[in-house]
Amino acid sequence: MILLESHNVIIQTALSEKLARPSSLDVQFVDYDGVRFRLSTPERKTAVLLSMNIRCWGDLVKYGALEILKREYGALLKDVPEPEYNVSLEIDLEQAPPEGEAREAFIKSVSLLKRNALAAPFELAFRTQKELEASGSGQGELMQVHYRDEEAIYVQASADRVTVIFSTVFREETDHVLGKVFLQEFVDARRLPTIQNAPQVLYSSRDPPLEIRRVPGLRDTEDIGYVTFVLFPRHFANATVAEGTISHIQLFRDYLHYHIKCSKAYMHSRMRHRVSEFQKVLNRAKAEVATAERKTVSGRTLVSR
Amino acid sequence: MSVLAPIICDNGTGFSKIGFAGNSDPSFVFPTAIATRGPAAQASRGPSVPAKPGHLASKRGVEDLDFFIGDEALANAKTPGYAVSYPIRHGIIDNWDYMERYWEQVIFKYLRAEPEDHYFLLTEPPLNPPENREQIAEIFFESFNIKGLYIAVQAVLALAASWSSNRVTDRTLTGTVIDSGDGVTHVIPCAEGYVIGSAIKHIPIAGRDITQFVLNLMRERGEMTNVPPEDQLRVAGKVKENYSYVCQDIVKEFRKYDAEPYKYFERYEGEHSVTGRKYSLDVGYERFLAPEIFFNPEIYSSDFLTPLPEIVDGVIQQSPIDVRRGLYKNIVLSGGSTMFQHFGNRLKRDLKQLVDQRLEASALASGSAQRSSGVEVEVISHKRQRYAVWYGGSLLADLPGFYQTCHTKAQYDEIGPSICRRYQIFGSAT
Repeated sequence: MILLESHNVIIQTALSEKLARPSSLDVQFVDYDGVRFRLSTPERKTAVLLSMNIRCWGDLVKYGALEILKREYGALLKDVPEPEYNVSLEIDLEQAPPEGEAREAFIKSVSLLKRNALAAPFELAFRTQKELEASGSGQGELMQVHYRDEEAIYVQASADRVTVIFSTVFREETDHVLGKVFLQEFVDARRLPTIQNAPQVLYSSRDPPLEIRRVPGLRDTEDIGYVTFVLFPRHFANATVAEGTISHIQLFRDYLHYHIKCSKAYMHSRMRHRVSEFQKVLNRAKAEVATAERKTVSGRTLVSR
Repeated sequence: MSVLAPIICDNGTGFSKIGFAGNSDPSFVFPTAIATRGPAAQASRGPSVPAKPGHLASKRGVEDLDFFIGDEALANAKTPGYAVSYPIRHGIIDNWDYMERYWEQVIFKYLRAEPEDHYFLLTEPPLNPPENREQIAEIFFESFNIKGLYIAVQAVLALAASWSSNRVTDRTLTGTVIDSGDGVTHVIPCAEGYVIGSAIKHIPIAGRDITQFVLNLMRERGEMTNVPPEDQLRVAGKVKENYSYVCQDIVKEFRKYDAEPYKYFERYEGEHSVTGRKYSLDVGYERFLAPEIFFNPEIYSSDFLTPLPEIVDGVIQQSPIDVRRGLYKNIVLSGGSTMFQHFGNRLKRDLKQLVDQRLEASALASGSAQRSSGVEVEVISHKRQRYAVWYGGSLLADLPGFYQTCHTKAQYDEIGPSICRRYQIFGSAT
């Protein structure tokens, strides 16, 4: 698994199970970036309530998340969300599409709830870019999404591009170093002829990029890094490409941390391998114990007790 | 910021139960299997050495990311180039490379949790060497940077799970756990949350043997003739799960079946997995004979002949004398193979007989001068038996005190992996 998937597996499995055989249910689970979910059947077995709590809901609403969710889920969206949660979807299992592809698509779209909510600032930026391109110049608003405690995504549209900046905190020194190598790799990989079309990636640690330098309250410590993606119109020109871009870019932070962990796991397995090799060498180097029979002159054997 | 729910991860030999604390069922139950590129034998010699230096992105492959776990692993077992291996053997982690990668995908693909934000509760079998705990701690703290870790003994969690039964009045961690899964059955005495290691007994009869026994019985009766050979074991498994129960008296039960076969014989309807041809067979004496091998093992094997109640009695008799009453009073069932109807009642009755006989004998020997007031025997079955260990973990990790008993990342960095050699028993006063 190289790329993280954008849908939530628990929602997907639970829903397909309940659609086949409705029964009461109450589970709480999480998704990346501190998103909390709750799937429950508060009233009857066929009415499943899916609620989501997302940290940056205030930011997202400001950038039009509600409209996107309305567009995606229509009548499923409840006007008043469950207490402690930001959004609730009510899914009537009896109204769900019949078995087959339609149902699969329905389940998939519900399990993309978090992705759709987080898509708001990106979609807005893509629209703004179109408008600015028509007018020829200017810059859109710098949108900030504080999706984790100390980390944020900044999205800004310009006449010819959309800039996406991630700030990410490395809690551990090792991660910081590995992250640096990784991000350098991103910059280098783009030089390869095969991936010339990839968005431009810039990486800076500690110093925030120029676009966000005037944002108040930025951290100024060693453990913070900034990654800037520059998306050109070709990355979001047609709808399917834009969807893909959004799905991938919003998981970038988790993707980065996932791969840091994977490479640590890889190094650990190399280390284990190396240790076992060394142990073999050490075992070979053991002095051999003389086992030959020793005899006295008279021909009697010495027996050790 | 609200704290995100701890993750409970119970990795068994056969299946892993994974989910979030506070829920009543694990979110995922799938085989502890991993399908990796290349034959399993070759991979055990260590992953391939990375190619020449240079642009890593262009030169190095990503073989270490190319693997599947769980159901997907089994689905890919036949895909050319992949080989399935099971990193846990007899409950103890055997291949750490595979296990680390297994956890990697559990966390990132299935749970979709950022490990840095979560506490983890892992389980270990009784008599797990402390070095293994250190290894686990190393992987979780250093690869995944988790917030905090608690490693609990499975038997203790099974005891905690029994608190959900309404027959349990005091929440104690003293009791005997009968844990019967697919491969082996353990009888484990626990006193105040500590496992009495010297008294543990293993019984080589478990789910797999029951299925095999059902299969043998049905073959002998000729029921299996119209079942395709590749489906026979699966059918036997289904018969065991869906129709079996524990009877109180075999002879009576046989008479009952012979007198009114139409009332007691069940019909199993199946379908060929490839051709879709329908078949059906009669399910008869297997219904009560299958779980009977726990109580009369001689009907199945000739190597192991001690009935389960006798083993349980022996285990308790080997434990320190001051906890024996507590052990008799709280016998807890856990695992899928204890799910048979009336299993608890039968065990209780047989065990009670053994205990009473002994009391009687000692009263006789002492000249009947002093009589014992009797020993209370209680077997507790509850609704959450199948995933009892996981459920116990979910219960404990949901309590506010859980975070204090965990070892945190800061403590780990300060002391090192040896910190995980010892864990404070949950809910104990000290």
